[in-house]
Amino acid sequence: MKKISSIEEFISFRKSILNEPADNTPTLVISAGTCGQASGANDIMRAAKRYILEHHLHEKVSIRVTGCLGFCQIEPFILAEPENYIYPNLKTEDVPRVIKAIVKKEIIKELMYRENDDDKTYCTLEEIPFYKYQTRTILKRNQKIDPIRVFNYFKAGGYSAFEKVISNPDQEWIISEIKKAELRGRGGAGFPTGLKWENARNSNNGSGKKFVVCNADEGDPGAYMDRNVLEGNPQLIIEGMIIAGIAIGATKGFVYVRSEYPLAIKHSMIAIRQARDIGILGENILSTGIDFDIEIVRGAGAFVCGEETALIKSIEGKMGQPEQRPPYPVDKGIWGHPTCINNVETLANVPVIINEGADEYIKVGMPGARGTKIFSLVGKIKNTGLVEVPLGTTIHEVVNKIGGGPSGKSKIKAIQTGGPSGGCIPEELFDLPINYESLNKVGSIMGSGGMIVMDESTCMVDIAKYFTNFLQEESCGKCSVCREGTQRMNEILTNISEGRGTMEDLTLLEELGPVIKDASMCGLGQTAPNPVLATIKYFREEYIDHIIKKKCKATVCKEIVSSPCQYTCPINTDVSVYVALIARKKYAEALEVIKETNPFASVLSRICHHPCENKCKAGEGGDPIAIRDLKRFATDYGIENNLYSTTEPVKKTNGIKVAVIGSGPSGLTCSFYLSKMGYEVTVFEKESVIGGMLTLGIPEYRLPRKILKVDLDYIKSAGMEIKTDFALGEDYTIDGLLDQGYKSVFLATGSHQSLKLGIPGEEVEGVIPGMQALAALNLGKKIELGKRVGIIGGGNTAVDAARRVLRAETSESVTMIDAARSALRTTKPENVTIFYRRTIEEIPAYKEEVDGAGDEGIKIEYLTAPVRIITNKGKLKACEFIRMKLGEIDESGRRRPVPIKGSEFTVELDTLIVSISESPDISFLKNEGLEFSKWDTIIIDPETCLTKRPGIFAGGDMVTGPNTVVDAVAAGKIASESIDQYLTGKEVKREYKLTRPSKYIEPVEFSNKELDELISAKRSEMPLLSSEKRKYNLMEVNQGLTEEQAIKEAKRCLRCELETIDGKKFLKNLEEVEERG
Amino acid sequence: MKIKIDGISFDAPEYFTILDAARFLGLNIPTLCYHEGLSPGGNCRLCVVEIGKGDRTKLVTSCTYPVEEGLVVRTSSERVIKARKMTLELLIAQSPTSKVLQDLASKMGLKQVRFKPKWESCINCGLCVRMCEEQMKAKAIGFVNRGNKLEITTPFDMESEDCRKCGACMYICPVVTLRCHGAHPESVLCSGCYNSLQPTCTSNEDNYNCWMGLKNECGTCYNGESNENINENIK
Repeated sequence: MKKISSIEEFISFRKSILNEPADNTPTLVISAGTCGQASGANDIMRAAKRYILEHHLHEKVSIRVTGCLGFCQIEPFILAEPENYIYPNLKTEDVPRVIKAIVKKEIIKELMYRENDDDKTYCTLEEIPFYKYQTRTILKRNQKIDPIRVFNYFKAGGYSAFEKVISNPDQEWIISEIKKAELRGRGGAGFPTGLKWENARNSNNGSGKKFVVCNADEGDPGAYMDRNVLEGNPQLIIEGMIIAGIAIGATKGFVYVRSEYPLAIKHSMIAIRQARDIGILGENILSTGIDFDIEIVRGAGAFVCGEETALIKSIEGKMGQPEQRPPYPVDKGIWGHPTCINNVETLANVPVIINEGADEYIKVGMPGARGTKIFSLVGKIKNTGLVEVPLGTTIHEVVNKIGGGPSGKSKIKAIQTGGPSGGCIPEELFDLPINYESLNKVGSIMGSGGMIVMDESTCMVDIAKYFTNFLQEESCGKCSVCREGTQRMNEILTNISEGRGTMEDLTLLEELGPVIKDASMCGLGQTAPNPVLATIKYFREEYIDHIIKKKCKATVCKEIVSSPCQYTCPINTDVSVYVALIARKKYAEALEVIKETNPFASVLSRICHHPCENKCKAGEGGDPIAIRDLKRFATDYGIENNLYSTTEPVKKTNGIKVAVIGSGPSGLTCSFYLSKMGYEVTVFEKESVIGGMLTLGIPEYRLPRKILKVDLDYIKSAGMEIKTDFALGEDYTIDGLLDQGYKSVFLATGSHQSLKLGIPGEEVEGVIPGMQALAALNLGKKIELGKRVGIIGGGNTAVDAARRVLRAETSESVTMIDAARSALRTTKPENVTIFYRRTIEEIPAYKEEVDGAGDEGIKIEYLTAPVRIITNKGKLKACEFIRMKLGEIDESGRRRPVPIKGSEFTVELDTLIVSISESPDISFLKNEGLEFSKWDTIIIDPETCLTKRPGIFAGGDMVTGPNTVVDAVAAGKIASESIDQYLTGKEVKREYKLTRPSKYIEPVEFSNKELDELISAKRSEMPLLSSEKRKYNLMEVNQGLTEEQAIKEAKRCLRCELETIDGKKFLKNLEEVEERG
Repeated sequence: MKIKIDGISFDAPEYFTILDAARFLGLNIPTLCYHEGLSPGGNCRLCVVEIGKGDRTKLVTSCTYPVEEGLVVRTSSERVIKARKMTLELLIAQSPTSKVLQDLASKMGLKQVRFKPKWESCINCGLCVRMCEEQMKAKAIGFVNRGNKLEITTPFDMESEDCRKCGACMYICPVVTLRCHGAHPESVLCSGCYNSLQPTCTSNEDNYNCWMGLKNECGTCYNGESNENINENIK
């Protein structure tokens, strides 16, 4: 087109575009920024074009290809204007349907946006919560603009600020507007833009030239808002730069952009050419005598070049190293000329301010931080993408309302703002309004706007290590403190994450950090310690866990974890070793390894809640290894072949007497190990049978009694004395035991008392406590349940709160399902219904039990809670329930069920089993000098199992409340070690070691074909007893893997333990041996 | 320019840096990468001082910071000493054999080095680079890479045509010139420093006089091999 050469011509040109009649043809907007293209927007675009051409629809519908619209999670999508209907995550094959619908002005509901657990469909962009809660001043514009078409920009009102400024190029006015708008640098430091411009305008070092630079060297991991704006709306930046140029009197502008942003470079190059063609850029713009042109400079990818002085060096063609300030760039910048450097987003806000006027602009945001800020919300969050909110919005709003909360089931624990220069902000501080100062105060920075959400599967030490590693590579290295400091921080953090850290290291980090901040030359060094200092400040516990306990809560740090299965196992079972041995068909050896750490091997191989499988690496993107089933295969092999059925008792005891009270898993484990150490152990049991909850609480179809007997016999063979029908408080006291010469006592009496619902009518006949019902059913006692049986499980809020504290979430609702299935099997009721107040999602570990219950015909009513018991002549007649819905996320990270008003309904029942939870019965322990919590659990030092009374130890459910068997066994093991320390006069203290397998097993060699099969192989399915055969008897449901299945399953193991330094050494040795021999 | 430095009011000329002012007044600020004949670099960070009043103070390198009207400077506040000591600890751990660094440590009373020694022979202070560029006008060496991979070398690690082998880089280097190995028990004298002042490599190269005394360790001598051979080795 012809170059415009006067202001009047420009005004009429702009007017003519704006006055064009509105085009009401439906338009498909395809967001094709770099993110959109990566997720397939180009395919969508091609498919759409082809369909439109083939069906001659080009007059009925048009296409606009735009930059990213912010919601990267739902790309590729088609947005249908004018109604803004949105079709997210679109597949190419659905494109024709969508276009057809758009032409017919219809909508296709099933293709539209839905939140994960919601049935509601959101048809238009504005309705979607992600967009609804944003204030999209800058990002909103992308929708109307094809970045390579300048007319789109004019049509959307572009260059009106330019028109204002060029008609009245009053520098003072422009700067005063910017100052009045309180615009601050969006690059992170928040320097007042107006002030910078003023300084640049007033700066006169006689060199004659001045420069404006747009800083688009966006290098933070996880941040991409500058790319988005430059890609989606380059003319906006050009307009901002021209205004800046006029304001300070510069004649030339540079856009310094990373070469990693090819699309941004392409779009801005096209935009600059178009602007030149029109006459907006160049010499003597619109005959006003103002010269301004823009050049693009590509950065070569050094993070430090985002720093002003390094950026200047880079533009000059020198090595990108910062210079000590002063002199500041506004005084002495590129080639010595005054240079004003602004971030992309800052410049994007300039036309907005000039257009609307500063008075309008300051209505958004908060004092000292006006306007909006774009954040890139990434990490463990449901909705990732670019979020634009007014400054002063709380983190909570951004993360939970716009971001939609955590992406997985784990709870969000922190966010990292400002990338490697920022720090993490823990979840407790999410009510913090986001602005420059508030973030600084909590040890982070605004930075360019990256927000990385971290949940409980993120290790904070690892995060700090990641960022310091990034920084030690990206520090320019010029100044010693930053170069050496970042390297040393990384070195120390590596040591800590590999389990070699000391508490002195932590002190050193805390000493080193502030010095790096203080003494570094540029912003990179001055903020480099933030990730480290912030994680230490808010997650010190995690550091101490790594250093002292050699624990990484998130199971991330490889050298600490070794293999996640062994690491997660409460009793440190050598999982990787026995799985490898099974793969090599060495079943007896495998069993030996299992028995080494686990006296209840056969029991746990059936009923363990297998936390190992939840953390199994094979489970990330595939099926976890069936670890428990493999263990069962080995133990069954042992039973068949009569291997390791007994253990050798010590030849001669040391004569020290120890009393163990309670013969459950915890008590017997402790007795077993103490006996093996040579103590004279006596076990006291109140009931006539031993085994505790294993015998009373777990139904036979899950744990056949003959299997239980195998383990009990094995434990007994260690040589302890067992006294049954001997109740504490009735037959003896702890003091009495001590008088009799017992030197130490281990209390493990369990948690057997069912909790009450706390609703009216609970005391009537027909309402049975869950434990009572289960114990009766398990011991084969006759119990009349009637035809219609209801079971209430899950508990109430108060109980839940207690459980969380007691770390017993996994066992929730186990008794409920056990009770239901046992009832069905033994008493032949007509129907059995479970009423549970949460959803199936909330029953974490026992999915197979829930499925099993369903198969057997047990009905489960989710989201249902009891309100009152309806009685007839003092007997249960019915129960009134109320429906629940999931509300806000509570402290346990799950969504709290809230009652739906008016949804009450009544169910007639003959029996109602209440198994919401159990608590320990401590009536017989009142006068023994022990301390109890408000949930009646006994208070101990969890490190050692020691109670408040010297020599008296406690463990198992009576400490934790109802918990899993394996945790009880673990407590028994810890107690046995503590008791030994106590009795040998040592300091009672838990010793922590790095998790390592007892030995390394050579991996099985695979052919390529076999390997391919294994990669895609599914988990070996446990053969089950058919549900017909299950009814009305107690036969075991799980039948055990076949040998072939077991070997195949074991071969699937990824052998994580070989990934550690030790493991690699083993492999290297193997290779060397092979080479030699 | 009226400034106040460690409580002393002083009217400094405009072209003074804080370091100039301090030295003029006889106040001791340790320096490492500073040299009167070269432009200040601000690389080593040992000359940091605290400027400003009240809560709004910050650390700056005195060698680069120009005096300004009303500037308040403290050259040895606790914050300054802490930063200097930590910086020196980092540098010594990088290159424990540097006599210059060891001397500074004794002077500043550094008692411990908690980082694992790296035994490197360069602390990247940049003195040699500035020397080569500003005084010798050769620009034969420069910084290469960044961060933990930063090093000072010739372009592409090849023998530079611009290098006149003047040895100025070695002369000014705080790490290599005076490598102290400690006194020998028999002779009591260490004799290392003395030897380094002797032209010991003359047998290798006739065209220039080498003062380095490191006997082929310095990298400027090639054991008499001709340049062609060296180039071949590089290929």
